Amino acid sequence: MEHQQTNFFVRGPSPLARLTFFAAVSLVLMVVDARLHYLGEVRQGFATLLHPLEIIATSPVRLYRSIQDHFTTVESLNQETQVLRDKTARLAVDLQRLPSLQAENDHLRQLLEARQAMQQPARMAEILHVSRDPFAQRIIVNLGSQQGVLAGQAAVDGAGVIGQVTRAYPFSSEITLITDRELAVPVQVERNGLRAIAFGHGRDNMLDLPYLPVNVDIHEGDKLVTSGIDGTYPVGLAVAIVKKVERNVDSPFAHIICVPTAGTDRHRQVLILTTMPSAAIPLDEPHPLPKKKESRHHAPR
Amino acid sequence: MRPVSVGQVYGSLFAGLMLYMLPWAGFGLMLRPDFVLLVLLYWLIRTPHLCNIGTAWFMGMLVDLAGGDLFGQHALAYVVPAFVAVYYQRRVTLFTRWQQLGFVFGLLVIAQVVLLILKLFSGSEVPEWSYLLSSVSGILLWQLVIYSKIKVTGEREA
Repeated sequence: MEHQQTNFFVRGPSPLARLTFFAAVSLVLMVVDARLHYLGEVRQGFATLLHPLEIIATSPVRLYRSIQDHFTTVESLNQETQVLRDKTARLAVDLQRLPSLQAENDHLRQLLEARQAMQQPARMAEILHVSRDPFAQRIIVNLGSQQGVLAGQAAVDGAGVIGQVTRAYPFSSEITLITDRELAVPVQVERNGLRAIAFGHGRDNMLDLPYLPVNVDIHEGDKLVTSGIDGTYPVGLAVAIVKKVERNVDSPFAHIICVPTAGTDRHRQVLILTTMPSAAIPLDEPHPLPKKKESRHHAPR
Repeated sequence: MRPVSVGQVYGSLFAGLMLYMLPWAGFGLMLRPDFVLLVLLYWLIRTPHLCNIGTAWFMGMLVDLAGGDLFGQHALAYVVPAFVAVYYQRRVTLFTRWQQLGFVFGLLVIAQVVLLILKLFSGSEVPEWSYLLSSVSGILLWQLVIYSKIKVTGEREA
């Protein structure tokens, strides 16, 4: 204790002064980051510096997975082959019909003088890790702006939409899942073409369809697909299945809960559609859909 | 008490950051103790001249960067308990083991509550009670540290 006494009085500014200073700096940084978005490049720079650390930190899990993959039994591989073969056979049948359908669709679009739907190039990305923040539904994947991934691009898997790239770092990028509270997906009910906006639920693996009237024509089991109105997602990708519709007399809106079709919390790989999100593309005007009035795009949350 | 080198302090803080950056998911994420804050508190109580509120702020910024959160959230959430720890540092050395455990648990909860308030302001939902599990696992880890005879406060260990 005698030794420590020498340090007793040389402690610099008082703790309260330090607290005030650093708390103020933190608050200013938070406001600048949240409201003014000035710090994007700073974040990118530091994220590049932290990237090697991230690789090291995720390496134990990758090692475990590779060992697991290595020791897969012949039986399970056989099973998987069987499943994949079945799937290929079923898809092949559908695929045979696709060229003729596409030709027909092109022809119809020409008749309508509508813009041709374009092919979507995609890249396979592997999930590095999920978000460390228990409040957010995000994943980090191993493709970044160096590989042509840009913020705003859509991420999908075999079963439907997963989410959207919200931040692209040089060697990795952050995908916000459709189940996150901050992400909205413009959708359409496949059965009747009704348009709506799906919001993430935040905590559990669910989606909400808010701001739809009580008498809206949606049933349990209805499939929601992307409407393509935002220019981010291509038209017709599966998003969710309606799980529950509650119509309360005391609320002007129906309470609709949906489950995403894509494995937002299951897969190791995702597809990133690498066309630039094209906000400038004019919408196809003649839309042969029911003329039901939809809720506003950016309804306040 | 053996003097502590700067390398030890920053080496352990770095190790804490690496533990934080492990790919936690699901229930593990809920249970994950706040490694960086635990290491910070340890050094704040033991050597306040090497590790002070500024260090806490800096580590908070690194955590924000690694997690892709808003800048400054963890920084603020670490600065507040760091202040309390430094303020009561002389008294903590006189605490018994259980008093010390209670004190550290309080600090962990303070950090989580500050973070929760900031998250609520940025529009998150109120989480379930399991949110505080991280503080509980943190205090268990702290107890482990004391049992493994690493003396936190030196002479007054019972």
